[in-house]
Amino acid sequence: MGDGMASIRILLADDHTVMRAGLRLLLERQPDFEVVAEAEDGRRGVELADVHAPDVVVMDIAMPRLNGIEATRQIAIRHPQTAVVILSMHVDESYVMRALKAGARAYLLKDSAEVDLIGAVRAVALGKSFFSPAVSKLLAEDYVRQLERKGEVDSYELLTAREREILQLLAEGQSNKDVANLLNLSLYTVETHRSHILQKLGLHTIPDLILYAVRKRIIR
Amino acid sequence: MGLARRAPEWVCLISNCRLELYPGGGMGSSEKIKGSKETPDEDQPSRSGVRLVSLVGFGAVLALMGIIGAESVRVLHSIESENVEVTRDYLSRHHALDRVRSSLYLSGTLVRDYLLDPDQGRARSRLAELQEVRAQTNAALDEYRGDGLSEDVPQLATLRAELAEYWKTISPSFDWDAGQRRSLSYRFLEQLVLPRRDAMLRLADRVDGMNEAVLKAGGLRSAEIYRSFRSRIVAILTITLGLGIGVAGLSIMQILRLERDARLRYQETVRARSELENLSAKLVDAQEEERRTISRELHDEVGQSLSALLVDLGNVVATVPEENVPARRLLDTVKKLAEQSLQSVRNRALLLRPSMLDDFGLVPALRWQTREASRRTGTIIELAAEETADELPDDYKTCVYRVVQEALNNVSKHSNAQSVQIVVRQEKNRLLLSIQDDGKGFDALHTRGLGLVGMEERVRHLGGVFVIQSKPGQGTHLRVDLPLRGESSGLYG
Repeated sequence: MGDGMASIRILLADDHTVMRAGLRLLLERQPDFEVVAEAEDGRRGVELADVHAPDVVVMDIAMPRLNGIEATRQIAIRHPQTAVVILSMHVDESYVMRALKAGARAYLLKDSAEVDLIGAVRAVALGKSFFSPAVSKLLAEDYVRQLERKGEVDSYELLTAREREILQLLAEGQSNKDVANLLNLSLYTVETHRSHILQKLGLHTIPDLILYAVRKRIIR
Repeated sequence: MGLARRAPEWVCLISNCRLELYPGGGMGSSEKIKGSKETPDEDQPSRSGVRLVSLVGFGAVLALMGIIGAESVRVLHSIESENVEVTRDYLSRHHALDRVRSSLYLSGTLVRDYLLDPDQGRARSRLAELQEVRAQTNAALDEYRGDGLSEDVPQLATLRAELAEYWKTISPSFDWDAGQRRSLSYRFLEQLVLPRRDAMLRLADRVDGMNEAVLKAGGLRSAEIYRSFRSRIVAILTITLGLGIGVAGLSIMQILRLERDARLRYQETVRARSELENLSAKLVDAQEEERRTISRELHDEVGQSLSALLVDLGNVVATVPEENVPARRLLDTVKKLAEQSLQSVRNRALLLRPSMLDDFGLVPALRWQTREASRRTGTIIELAAEETADELPDDYKTCVYRVVQEALNNVSKHSNAQSVQIVVRQEKNRLLLSIQDDGKGFDALHTRGLGLVGMEERVRHLGGVFVIQSKPGQGTHLRVDLPLRGESSGLYG
């Protein structure tokens, strides 16, 4: 549908041919989605990202030559505007954490790709994060259980209302500048808030913060 | 592939080793003796020969000692009875002669009294007494004769003849009247009776001398018996001693050989045990490798295909109009089935060997494991592993991971623990693991389940120390100390 609406340009990276074909079919049912290229391994994925500079990369984790997480890391460095959606067989948070640290914006389980992929691509195209409900549910449950067992005070209680607001925006994938614009604050103020948030929650990086937000069900 | 084919060989090797380890059991022991080069085939019969010889030797030594004892008793008894007999003979003969001698004296006196007595009546009674003495003398002589000793027969015969002559000399005087006795008696006594009597007394003394000689001879015979006994005893003792030395030598040789055999057998057992340990370690490695392969294949092949299937199912659903309710329902069922299969494949793969262990290393795998166990059992499990590198050698990763897995299994199955503390710490040249729970504990000295044995074996194979402390009611504390290869060779090499 070329009625002025910019289409979302997508790169598919998966070593499984049937999977790629299925995903392409799925994505292309959306009129504003365009699959610009397919890669059968991580290295090819990085090369094709260089060639096409897509809006979104849908990336499998287990791939020959270069795995999906390494490929994500390289693409995130070279093309900050490209959002990576990880497609994974693994529910465990070690994979989620590594994917986030590598620069992925969304983490999808392959079980639910058929249901969630469209939503995930749209979310990351808007600069937001996205997690499979099964993953965020698991992370949240583990977090709650841990808090309950240890009987610790939830550090979230230490945050001010403004800090909570900023935490959510940051976790959704907004940059400091976006947040400053959105809340009508100076960039410096946002940066100060950000470092306070990380300090209060005992976190170090934005991926830590995103994972925290998923666990707290601040974002889904 | 190759692994699967090799595994049965190991199993049968291990069962062979077990036979060697317990040589008491039937075929195993004989096979083992044949197989070992230090104990050759012909050893078995020669050993039973030695056993027979030493048995016979011991028997002979004992028999000879018995013979010595019996012989001593017999000989001492015969010497004693010989002595008694000789003495008794001597005494009886001596008495007989004494009686002969005293009769002779008496007869001389009676003859004299008879001749000198003027009274006819009294002379008659003297004569009667004399006759009686004569009979007594003869009886005594007969008695002496009754013992029948050939040596003094000539003297005895002479004595007897003299006696007869004596009585013959005296007897004419018995018819004498008083006048004759008065006129003749003195000369008769002086010239005939007394000399004869004295001669006979001397003869009797000689016979007595003979008697003493016989007594002495008896003593000599005893001495002779004793001497022959002594030489016989010496001979038997010499044989016994020789035989004893032989048997003792044989026994010592046998003992030395048994000692050597026992040493060899012990060495063999030690070797078999270390082989067994190596084999079981290989078996564990092979099992781990298979788990890894199967887990990966489930995950990457089966899982990927099911994922693709799900995506395509979604695509198919999109082409089926919503009005076609039966087709939509059917597709929905198929989709659910595929989702369940994918779930089950993923769980199965993780249980076999979690992919984090190979993808990210030990600590992420342990984090997953503790989260899973905590979710499953409701136990609080804390893991402290901040100072542990993810990149450890594969066998160390696997060892620690499996020990933790088994320990958490035990906790959930047996301990009723509320919380578990797991600490993994990497030091310069070693890796430490500690797992402590507050459960009901068990008697660690006497209970060793198969799981514990497996853990200990894994740890020992890497040269580590495995310690488990537990008492009923006091929780369980398990510690593992693994030396790290690279660093330790750098330190000491």
